[in-house]
Amino acid sequence: MSQQSTVRGQKDFSKSWDFFEIEKSILILRRSKTFLSRRVGVAISFLLLAAYCLLLPATASAHRVNVYGYAEDGKVFVEGYFVDGTKAMNSLVEVFDAETGEKLLEGKTNKEGVFSFKIPKLTALKLVLTASMGHKNDYTISREEVAEALGRSGTSQESTVRSQQSPVSSEQSEASKQRAGQKEEVTAEGAVSSKEIEQVVAKVLDRKLLPIKNILLKMQEEASRPGMTEIIGGIGYIMGIMGIVLYFKSKNR
Amino acid sequence: MHISEGILSTPVLAAGAVLTIGGVTLGLKKMDYEKIPEVAVLSSAFFVASLIHVPLGPTSVHLVLNGLVGVLLGWMAFPSILVALALQALLFQFGGFTVLGVNTFNMAAPAVASYYFFNFLVRRGNRSVTAVAAFLAGALGVGGGTFLIALSLVTTGEEFLSVARLVFLAHLPVMLIEGIITAFCILFIKKVKPEILEVGK
Repeated sequence: MSQQSTVRGQKDFSKSWDFFEIEKSILILRRSKTFLSRRVGVAISFLLLAAYCLLLPATASAHRVNVYGYAEDGKVFVEGYFVDGTKAMNSLVEVFDAETGEKLLEGKTNKEGVFSFKIPKLTALKLVLTASMGHKNDYTISREEVAEALGRSGTSQESTVRSQQSPVSSEQSEASKQRAGQKEEVTAEGAVSSKEIEQVVAKVLDRKLLPIKNILLKMQEEASRPGMTEIIGGIGYIMGIMGIVLYFKSKNR
Repeated sequence: MHISEGILSTPVLAAGAVLTIGGVTLGLKKMDYEKIPEVAVLSSAFFVASLIHVPLGPTSVHLVLNGLVGVLLGWMAFPSILVALALQALLFQFGGFTVLGVNTFNMAAPAVASYYFFNFLVRRGNRSVTAVAAFLAGALGVGGGTFLIALSLVTTGEEFLSVARLVFLAHLPVMLIEGIITAFCILFIKKVKPEILEVGK
């Protein structure tokens, strides 16, 4: 996480530096206008204009927006990004109940292309992201994932989780009783600690799995970009179509 | 430069499909035997151009090349661009098959426009006239395309002026680069194989 934040920081810094630099050079250019010949001035301002143009966000020229979501600790996180890797900022996210099709809530992504919300109810969630310029995509989070995220946060779902747990722990306690023939106090202690253990394990797993989650997200992002094989394949298709058209036209000659 | 599926209303999709079918029919009629390989090569150029993102500053840009395709092919730009967009939809899910008509028209109509405006100048003009005309043809291809995209999005309730401005600003650098690339391509073609500039019929 710390690595990520430093990278982001650097990026922001370099961005602002670029703009600052351009403004500075425009100022210098204005001051020294009298010293420069007119043609050079025009050429330089044209170049600066070009440089400024290149710094504008060109997300609109991307082709497809991808959306991905995951549920964690009673919350759902939605991430949107374009094929070239830029984040889908300030895009509308609508959340639907995937089972009934009813619209639950909506919101907008932040500067990192992320939108998060508290899980409104236990159901499969369909996330629909609409970016500017007619880009749209959706992603569905399964009921199981939502249930798990709710269960761990310890809200209304906790009671059901506990009731599911109790037969298991009682079985365990009976087994341990038969095996060791110990007092009942121990089994009570064991039941409590097994729940604690589960919480600790979940926490540790979350921490350990975070880098893997990030890697998977990155891989998914990269896989959504067109690869070399597909590009070459596409050219091949076009050449093939050309061959077919040439063949039929040559018959008519 | 692709509109996704499930955004546009049926009348817009139908209008796009009809216009594209018309353009493709006209293009196929104008296509002679000798011109077919050229159509295919430009189709692959168009197909590849928008897949390769060149990182520039904090963002990345890619070429569209519909202006170049238009100047060299005229109405044949319609079948050429249709094939390329169909493959992009098939292989990369860019756009989609229901929006294929609208997307093709948005890219190919400015291409045909740049043929009518600039092909004559490119063929007959001297070196500098050719360069300027080709630059404008490339810029018109992208500019016209963004205008048509904004126009087709109006029907979804997005406000035309704000969308058009956003789209135009975002594509200003692309127009600039596109114009320069088109100028270089046309100058090179004119020097090496000027008969390619003749669209015939």
